[in-house]
Amino acid sequence: MTSDLLLIAALDGIAYAALVFLVAVGLTLIFGVLRVLNIAHGSFYALGAYVAASLGIGIAASKISPWLSYPALAVAAAIVGIVVGSAIERLLLQRIYDKEEVLQLLVTFAAFMILDNAQRLIWGVQPYFVATPLQLLGNVQIGGITYTVYQIIVLPAVALLVLAGMRLFLRRTVSGRVILAVAEDREAARAIGINVPRVYLWTFVIGSILASLGGSLASPTTSILPGMGTDMLVLSFAVAASAGLGRIEGAAITALLIGLGRSAAVYWAPELDVLVPYLIMTLVLLVKPQGLFGTLQARRI
Amino acid sequence: MLTFDNIVVAIQGATILRRVTFRIDAGQTVALIGRNGAGKTTVLRTVMGLIGPAGGRLGFEGRDITAMRADQRPGLGIGYAPEDRRLFSAFTVEENIRLPAEVARRPKAEIADTLDRIYSMIPELKEMARRPAGQVSGGQGKIVALGRALMLGTKIILLDEPFQGLAPILAARYGETLKALKATRPDISVLITESNPSLLKPFADRTLIIERGDLSEIMNDEPLVA
Ligand SMILES: Nc1ncnc2c1ncn2[C@@H]1O[C@H](COP(=O)(O)OP(=O)(O)OP(=O)(O)O)[C@@H](O)[C@H]1O
Ligand SMILES: [Mg+2]
Repeated sequence: MTSDLLLIAALDGIAYAALVFLVAVGLTLIFGVLRVLNIAHGSFYALGAYVAASLGIGIAASKISPWLSYPALAVAAAIVGIVVGSAIERLLLQRIYDKEEVLQLLVTFAAFMILDNAQRLIWGVQPYFVATPLQLLGNVQIGGITYTVYQIIVLPAVALLVLAGMRLFLRRTVSGRVILAVAEDREAARAIGINVPRVYLWTFVIGSILASLGGSLASPTTSILPGMGTDMLVLSFAVAASAGLGRIEGAAITALLIGLGRSAAVYWAPELDVLVPYLIMTLVLLVKPQGLFGTLQARRI
Repeated sequence: MLTFDNIVVAIQGATILRRVTFRIDAGQTVALIGRNGAGKTTVLRTVMGLIGPAGGRLGFEGRDITAMRADQRPGLGIGYAPEDRRLFSAFTVEENIRLPAEVARRPKAEIADTLDRIYSMIPELKEMARRPAGQVSGGQGKIVALGRALMLGTKIILLDEPFQGLAPILAARYGETLKALKATRPDISVLITESNPSLLKPFADRTLIIERGDLSEIMNDEPLVA
């Protein structure tokens, strides 16, 4: 019985960590390049979930193949990341890159409030639940436990693909190297011909797509409610800070750590459930203030 | 080919360059000499567009580039090796050298050719090619920065205090490399800054002196006061 519980907790933790990782890696990418801690990042998670749910409802109503609900998850993430992401970067962030951090935080917080209200205006406050992508793929047996294929295979696979894809993109393509160069030294990047504002825009859009993808992938597994973006923002911040802001591989490992820690708490110490991620973060930062994978001369990303 | 016409630069209210006026012709090697804080780096950063002049006109090959965006300037054929090297530690030495050409979307074959040319001029770069740029010494880094400047710097290269902090052997090597560059590519102009005027005597066709933002030219056989 306890070993069953242990296994369930582990599976829950892995499935959840995959989502947290997607959001956290977007946050850490944006911070590493733009040096802005984007409070509005959580809104992209929520918007991704809402848009995915709306598309899912549309697909169900139109009676075309329910399998379309899978590409719809990706489409939702792309729409939110590209449309909302580029609007926020162009209209708001571009004006504050050389301002002090407090102001940057205030502006992204304002963006978060605006997006949160826009979301309530469009979708209201009633919960949505669109589980088609969860149900279509059925279940698997893992050590006597029945678990959904979607949560234990699809979600971690997407997270691993994103991790590997980001690595390849950043190291092996010119666009990726350009992003790394700007992250390390803006002025040196300009001096070799890099259009820094354009890199900021692209990075912000990519980071926003990742957060929206976390949200759209999460949508079949949970009820979609106002406030879901805030929880995820705080959690992904805990992950990014524990890893060391700007560390992508580190974010994967700390996401797993925090995901497992959180689900262990759900089963054995439910009263600590919400606290555990911060306990882990605080512990990590006490021992290593630069984050688990951060170095002193922070080589970001 | 490069002209400063009454360029004024001010940072936070303080005037750093005072109506600086000079011209560099194609193929010339010009030394820019001045004490610490005189404004040498500011002259080079103005050429790169990293700092915008408050007045005056910057010309390049007959074009007015005063208002041109910084990221469009290297593509004109301007290479820049900053005083503090500014290599990207995330990449290898070779990746650092290639990056400006990749950013400018130069064809692969052209990049390979230019790289070969740079390697044959500075063979030690080839030995370091695979090393992470974060691990080369400060002096080696100056040579990597020179290689990187040559990647796009087909018209002019700007070298900011390249000899500063170099051990005598490395400094001699750097000097030989500059001579080799002048021999193989006499069409490339070079603007080198230095605080010690005697170091550049063997290379420079002309010498400019900058003192607290005021620039003047001296004749090459005039005695120099450091
Ligand atoms: N970012 C800045 N803010 C304020 N003052 C600056 C800034 N950059 C340069 N200055 C001032 O501009 C003047 C010229 O600086 P610059 O770096 O061009 O000198 P330099 O001749 O290159 O000196 P060095 O030999 O030390 O490299 C100095 O007095 C310096 O204090
Ligand atoms: Mg200087």
